[in-house]
Amino acid sequence: MARQQATRLEPDTGERDLDLLTRMAAGDQGALDALYTRHGGTAYALARAILGESADAEEVVVDAYAQLWRTAGQFDPSRGSVLAWLTTITRSRALDLLRCRRRRDSALDRMVVLAPPEAAMAAENSAEREEAHALVRRSLGTLPEPQRRAIELAYFRGLSHSEIAAELNEPLGTVKTRIRAGLERLRAQLAPLLSEVQS
Amino acid sequence: MTEHEWRDQAAGYAMGSLEADERQRFEAHLAECGACRADVASFREVVGLLAYGAPPASVPANLRERVTAEARRVRPLPRPRRVTPAVAGLAAAASIAAVVGLGALARARSEQRALAALLAAARAELAARDSTIAALLGPELHVVSLSATGQEPSVRVFWNHPRSLFVVTAFNLPPAPAGRVYQLWAIPKDKAPISMGTFTTGADGRSTVVVPVSSAVLEAGFIDFCGLTVEPEGGSPQPTEAPRLLGTWRHSE
Repeated sequence: MARQQATRLEPDTGERDLDLLTRMAAGDQGALDALYTRHGGTAYALARAILGESADAEEVVVDAYAQLWRTAGQFDPSRGSVLAWLTTITRSRALDLLRCRRRRDSALDRMVVLAPPEAAMAAENSAEREEAHALVRRSLGTLPEPQRRAIELAYFRGLSHSEIAAELNEPLGTVKTRIRAGLERLRAQLAPLLSEVQS
Repeated sequence: MTEHEWRDQAAGYAMGSLEADERQRFEAHLAECGACRADVASFREVVGLLAYGAPPASVPANLRERVTAEARRVRPLPRPRRVTPAVAGLAAAASIAAVVGLGALARARSEQRALAALLAAARAELAARDSTIAALLGPELHVVSLSATGQEPSVRVFWNHPRSLFVVTAFNLPPAPAGRVYQLWAIPKDKAPISMGTFTTGADGRSTVVVPVSSAVLEAGFIDFCGLTVEPEGGSPQPTEAPRLLGTWRHSE
């Protein structure tokens, strides 16, 4: 079952992300190219959602892949999936830039709005990955509004619990519980995508 | 703290939305709680998938070229080695000595000089390490760990007060791009950051440097944070980017 899911998610070459990373650690540039084909669009959309401006978003993706390339040999699969690693790096770089920008210009105070499930996908995504994207969007859409908002503020704007509490004018404890409850709900709904990691 | 509250912390920790002091307390708890570690790991995967929730964006056509160009420019870091450079140097000196013993006498003189230079360099390196260790062992030591989320570089800064020295150790920190250096900043509350010095790392991503504590740092009073940025060679008077790594000072035992 778990293996089936992994195959469904990674149809491009039949190789797992981890295999690509192992080849990258050995200096195989084709493996990097394949990993870009697989997740580059996701990383870019994420950087774009956080930063808005495309020049900075591109920079973040180039940076994130450069770090993956340089440190591929140090990746520890017991700590999580390659996708989680890539998106963690991408997100933390994008949020660093965002905080820097926020200090420069506190007027820039946008809210990221998640796209509805039916939105068109970037052309690079394979049908299987589109399905995965759609499932994440659908699952986000089914969260109660307050949970979804708290998660969006934390994820796309990098706000801390107390900053979210101030933004939403809610008690700190409520915010913490909403984020936890939201993530637990997502964990249950996204189980088909997560089984790959736990296998 | 009840179990329920720790569960909230696990979600916030995976999301990166805990306050700094909460994060430190939770990390201490994580060290001894397997259930919370498992919770964090599974929440991290969920958080990783949230990237799929970003609005679709059409990817610029030249982005692939830029990503792969970087790979043609640099090689992946080797896996962490076990042998320290100083020991490797001595081992190389020993093997050269063995070759010299068998070689012609005429050549031996110049080889000997080279060998002496090599040994002197190895001794100098060992002496430098000794003084680094001495600086680390002194009393009244402050230490700060700079960290980031994910599998990221770690930088430790030790502040030896009596000798007025910073000892900086870096692991997993890729060499700064050509023409740029890493710069450390002491960040006092509500005041501008003060440069603590610059350094670079080797191809193995490691570095150990000892820098004197400047009077500006000493006069700044209480320092809250220590940050790391990438700056043009020679360093900048003020950071030109947000810190890539950040840590808070704490007293050693």
